[in-house]
Amino acid sequence: MLIKKKVCLLGAFAVGKSSLVERFVYDRFDEKYLTTIGVKVSQKILAPRRDSRSGQLRQYMFLIWDIASLDKFDHMVMNYYRGAAGALAIGDLPRPETFTGLEDLCAKFKSVSTDAEIVVLGNKLDIFQPHEETIRLLKKTAQRWSPDHLLTSAKTGHHVEKAFQLLATKIGNHS
Amino acid sequence: MNAVLKNLLAYKNLGTILFDKHFEIIEADRLARNILGAIGPRFPDGNLLNVFPEFVGNEQLICRVLEKKASEFHLKYVNRFDSQGHTLFWDLLILPDERPERGILVVEDVTEQAKALQEINQQKYELFLYRHDPGFRKKFLSESILGKSKAIQQLRDAIHKLSKVPSATVLLLGETGTGKNLAARVIHYSSMPADAPFVHLNCAALPEHLFEAELFGYEKGAFTHAAASRPGLMEESHGGTIFLDEIGELPINVQAKLLTVLETKKFRRLGSNRPIELKTRIIAATNRSLPKDVQAKKFREDLFYRLNVVSLTMPPLRALGDDILTISDHFLNVFNVEFKKRVKGFAEDARKVLRNYHWPGNVRELSNCLERAMIFIEKDWITARDLVIFNPPTDHPPSTLPNGTFHPAVSSWKKLSGNF
Repeated sequence: MLIKKKVCLLGAFAVGKSSLVERFVYDRFDEKYLTTIGVKVSQKILAPRRDSRSGQLRQYMFLIWDIASLDKFDHMVMNYYRGAAGALAIGDLPRPETFTGLEDLCAKFKSVSTDAEIVVLGNKLDIFQPHEETIRLLKKTAQRWSPDHLLTSAKTGHHVEKAFQLLATKIGNHS
Repeated sequence: MNAVLKNLLAYKNLGTILFDKHFEIIEADRLARNILGAIGPRFPDGNLLNVFPEFVGNEQLICRVLEKKASEFHLKYVNRFDSQGHTLFWDLLILPDERPERGILVVEDVTEQAKALQEINQQKYELFLYRHDPGFRKKFLSESILGKSKAIQQLRDAIHKLSKVPSATVLLLGETGTGKNLAARVIHYSSMPADAPFVHLNCAALPEHLFEAELFGYEKGAFTHAAASRPGLMEESHGGTIFLDEIGELPINVQAKLLTVLETKKFRRLGSNRPIELKTRIIAATNRSLPKDVQAKKFREDLFYRLNVVSLTMPPLRALGDDILTISDHFLNVFNVEFKKRVKGFAEDARKVLRNYHWPGNVRELSNCLERAMIFIEKDWITARDLVIFNPPTDHPPSTLPNGTFHPAVSSWKKLSGNF
C-alpha cells in the first residue's frame, strides 16, 4: 500500500534545503545558489519497509515541501506547514547562526502540525571545519525537538538518503 | 458560480476549476486549461489531488471550506516546471461554490511577480553571504570571470594561486576592454578580508602636478593650498590593495617614488619627514607595451622589473571562442533586467556575427553593442540586423593567440613558489 506523506524542509536561506531535495529525489547537485520563492513540491517513493508492530509492508510516497525561508510567520506559512507528517530542520554547519533560528522555526512548525516528527540536520559537511559551538547549537536544537540529528552533505550525498529514511522510520513508528 | 463572478475572474486572468467533495474535477475553464497547459500537452482530468499534490495533507481543511466552515485555503507561489524546464509560479485559492459540497479552485499565474521577488531576494541573500561567508565570496568572485575556454580557465587558476599570496605585486597586461579592472577586483576580494580597502587610481586621469599629493598625501603647509593634512591613496589602501590602472601613464618623476615604495614598503607624505609603513598589495595594469616604453625611456626599467613580479595577460575576446556567446548571454540577462525586456536570446545569424567578429574593443565593445541592440529591440530574439558593429581598420587578426593558448605569463612565478 502506497501511503502519501507530506514532509517539510525548514531552515534559513541558503542552508541547502533545495540541494538536499535535488540530491535525494534526482541524485544531482548544482553548485549555483538560486533562492527559492514560495514552495516547490517534489515526490519520491521510498523503498517498502516492514512495520515493526503490525508486521505489514508499508511504502511511503514522500511529498517533499521545499519551503522558501520566510521573514514572517503568517496565515500563508501556516498553510505551507499544515498537514505535514514530518520535517527535516536544516542548519548550515559553516553558519552557526542558522541553528539559533531553527529552534523557533521548529516551534512554529509544531504549532501547526502538532503530531509531526522532526529530524535535525547540519548540512554542508563537505566544507565544515569542526567547530564546537556549532555542534553544541545543533545538539541543543535536536534535544528540544527530536533526539535525532545527522550531519549531511547535499554535495557529496553523505547521509542524505539516511536522513529521509530516518524521518520515514519516525513517521512509521508514530502512526 | 454566477456569470458576473465568472466574468470578473476571467477579466483578471484567473482560471477556475470546479471540483466535488471527493476532489474529483467536474470542469475547468479555458483559462485554467491554458495555465495548466504550460506544464503538459493535455489538461490532466481526474482527481484534484493528483493534479495538485500540494493539497495532500490538507484534505480535511479543504472539506471544511466546501462545507463553508472555513472561508478559504490559499497557497502562494507554488512552483511548477514547464516542458522546457522553466519555473512557473501559481497562486492556488480554494473557495466554496454556491452549490453544496463543491469547491472552486482559482488558479493564477504569478510567474512574473515571483521572478521579480526572486531577483530581489537573490541579490539580498547573495550580498549577505558575500559579506559573511568567505567560501561563498571566493566562489562568487571566481564565477564572475565568465567562460570555459582554456584561456579563461588558466586565468582563473592563476588568480586562485594569487589569492594565496596577498603580498605579491601583480602586473595586468592586455588590450583595452579585456577585463583588467575586473581581474584586479577579483584578485583583491578573493585574497583579502571583506572589509579590506580596494583603492583604484586611474593614472591617465590625474594631472601630473597632483600625482604626488594624491598618491602619498600631504601635511598641512606642505604647499600653498595645503590648509590641512590629508592622507593619500597609498595610505588609504593600507591593509588592502591599490590598483594603479594605466600605469604606463605614470609621470616619470612619480615612477621613481613609486619604485622606492615598492622596495622599502615605506613612504612619506609631502612635507613630512616621518616614514609611514605600508602593507598593501599593488596591482598595476596597462594596455601599453611597457618593454617598448622602457626602450623609449618613457618608463623606468627598474620599476618595470619591480612591478613585473607576476604578470597576467588578459586574453582578447576574439581568442575566447564560444565564451563570446556565454558572455553575450550574460549581458543579455543584465540588459533584460535593466531595460525591463524579455528578449529570449540570439538568433543563429546573430550568434555567428558575435562569434566571428574580431572585437578590437573586446568586452567593452561587446557590451556596448548589445546594450544598443537591447535598447531598440522589440522582438523576442536578437538577429544579426540588430547588431550594429563598427568595423574600424585594425591590426588585430581575427584569430586566436599565437599558439592557440593563453599564458598567464608567470614571469617570476618561481620567486613566489616558496611562499605557497
